[in-house]
Order: sequence, then C-alpha cells, then structure tokens
Amino acid sequence: MTRLLENKNAVITGCNRGIGFATLKLFAEKGCNVWACVRCENKEFEKKAETIAKENNVWIKPVYFDLGNSEEIKAGIKQIRENKEKIDILVNNAGIEQQGGFFQMTPMAVFEKIFKINVFAQIEFSQYITKLMMRNKAGSVINLSSCAGIDMTGGYMAYSASKAAIISVTKTMASELINYGIRVNAIAPGIVETQMSRGLTDEARENTKNSSLMNRIGEPEEIAEAIAFLASDASSYMTGQVLRVDGGM
Amino acid sequence: MSNLEKYNEAFMEVFQIGEDQLTDDLKYQSIETWDSVGHMMLMAALEEAFDIMMETDDILVFESYPKGKEILSNNYDVEF
Repeated sequence: MTRLLENKNAVITGCNRGIGFATLKLFAEKGCNVWACVRCENKEFEKKAETIAKENNVWIKPVYFDLGNSEEIKAGIKQIRENKEKIDILVNNAGIEQQGGFFQMTPMAVFEKIFKINVFAQIEFSQYITKLMMRNKAGSVINLSSCAGIDMTGGYMAYSASKAAIISVTKTMASELINYGIRVNAIAPGIVETQMSRGLTDEARENTKNSSLMNRIGEPEEIAEAIAFLASDASSYMTGQVLRVDGGM
Repeated sequence: MSNLEKYNEAFMEVFQIGEDQLTDDLKYQSIETWDSVGHMMLMAALEEAFDIMMETDDILVFESYPKGKEILSNNYDVEF
C-alpha cells in the first residue's frame, strides 16, 4: 500500500466505528498519525488503536469528548494542542442519524439535536482546529456530507437538511480558508454498511440500494479511500468540492 | 522572552512591520496587512505564543494593538 499520507498528522472525529474507524485504519496504513476523537472512553477501542498504530509504525492518540458539549470540545482541543504537533488534516466524520418520519411528525427538538451535532458542532470544532492549521499555511479539511443532502427524499428532513448545510459550510470554509493554504472538500456517501445505515427502514435501505448503478450498499473502507484521496496531496487542485461516493446514484 | 516581546513579535511577524509601527494608532485595517485574513493569522499566532484559546467574542473586539493587550490581560491572564 502506498504511504500516501506519510508523516502527516490528522484529527478524525467519530473514530470508533463505521466510516470513522475505517478511515483511522486506512490513514494509519498510509503512514498518517491520528488524534482519534471518540465520544466516550472506550478501552476496547484503545486496544484496537494501539494495535493499528504498532502495525503501521504511527501514533494514534485517543481523544474523548462529546460534540454536543462546547466545554468538552474545548477540553478535547486542549488535549490535541498539548502534543505541539502540526495538524495537516481534519476529518469531520462524527454525526448522528434520524429515525424516519414525515417532517410534520418530527418534533423540533429532533431538528435541533441533529443540527447541533451534524452542523453547529462541526463548525465549532473546525473553528478551533483550522486556527491551529493556519500557522502551517497548508492543510486539508474533509467534511462528511451525504447523498441525502443532495438528493432529498421524503422521511429524513432533519438529517438531509443537516447534510445539505454541510455542503454550504464546506464551500464557505473553502473560500475563506484558501487564504491560509487550507483546502476544504466534502464527501457525500450513498448508503454505506454502518450502524447508522442499519437504523434506516428496510424499505429505505432497499430503495437506496436499488437506485445505485452498482445495485449494492457501499463499505466504509470505500468511503475511507475517497477521504484519504482528499486528505492527500493527490487532490492538491481540489477545494470547495463535494465528491459523491455512492455506487452511481 | 517577556509577554510583551511575544505579543510584539506576533504583530511584526504576521503583519510584516517594524517595532516602530507598534503604537496605539495601530488598528484593524489601518495597515494593508491587517485585514480580515491577517486578523485571523494574528489570533492564531497569539494563541500559539500564549498557549490560549481565544473566544470568538474576543476575536471580534480585538480592534487595535492596545485593545489586544487589554483583552489578553483581562481575559487570559497574560501579564504585560
């Protein structure tokens, strides 16, 4: 495997499962050191991270904080800063899903919760991390959007709208942060085999699967490969873009 | 290096100016390099120099060389 990210340091949120864990593993395999951000302390995850780090001769530092809590975000940032290492890459992966339902039957509290985590917390975390990246006058930020944020379908308004907002956030961040040499792009995965997608109704999963040319559900590792591409210098002429990784929807 | 020296160095490095320009008249947009892009570079340099994390409200009111000292001193325990 090419060590595409050799000697780079990345911050990845939501590392303990799904796309986040696949990204952590792939980044390590490509030579990247990682601050692996996870919501709750998890010894099993720490063991896995330690093994991955050892196998790939990189360091992985677990950082625990809840994106729904500003004070915890700040504490997480402080922990990252303590290492006095440069930050090359930020992957804003963590997010929450929504149980399906007509928008008229979705309580406002659900909209607020989903926007708080999927949008506002991403912005807040990025404000702090990109300030640390600016000093290097280089860097790459990858935000996790979703095809649901582009191809709106009924039943998931809160989640879809939050992922659409991330596209706007990405484009705005890209235009502002290019002044500091930082590129910002988004990935829009189709349906992927994760705990989050398993929360969808069978009908929604089946419909999404059938709407892709490949007629299958994606694997987290396939999304991680696209994230690694955007994180690396191989995408040095890309910023403000949304890359669909969806099996051809 | 004293805190004042660190503070001055951040301004000089980010805005590419000499020590003689570090006066009470030095304000946001009073020189070409202190625009919004330069402002955030200054904030990042000060955060690194003093190992602090500045609140957005403080970043917004940091409008001059003397005001900055006041903010760092009052809100981040940086003594000058």
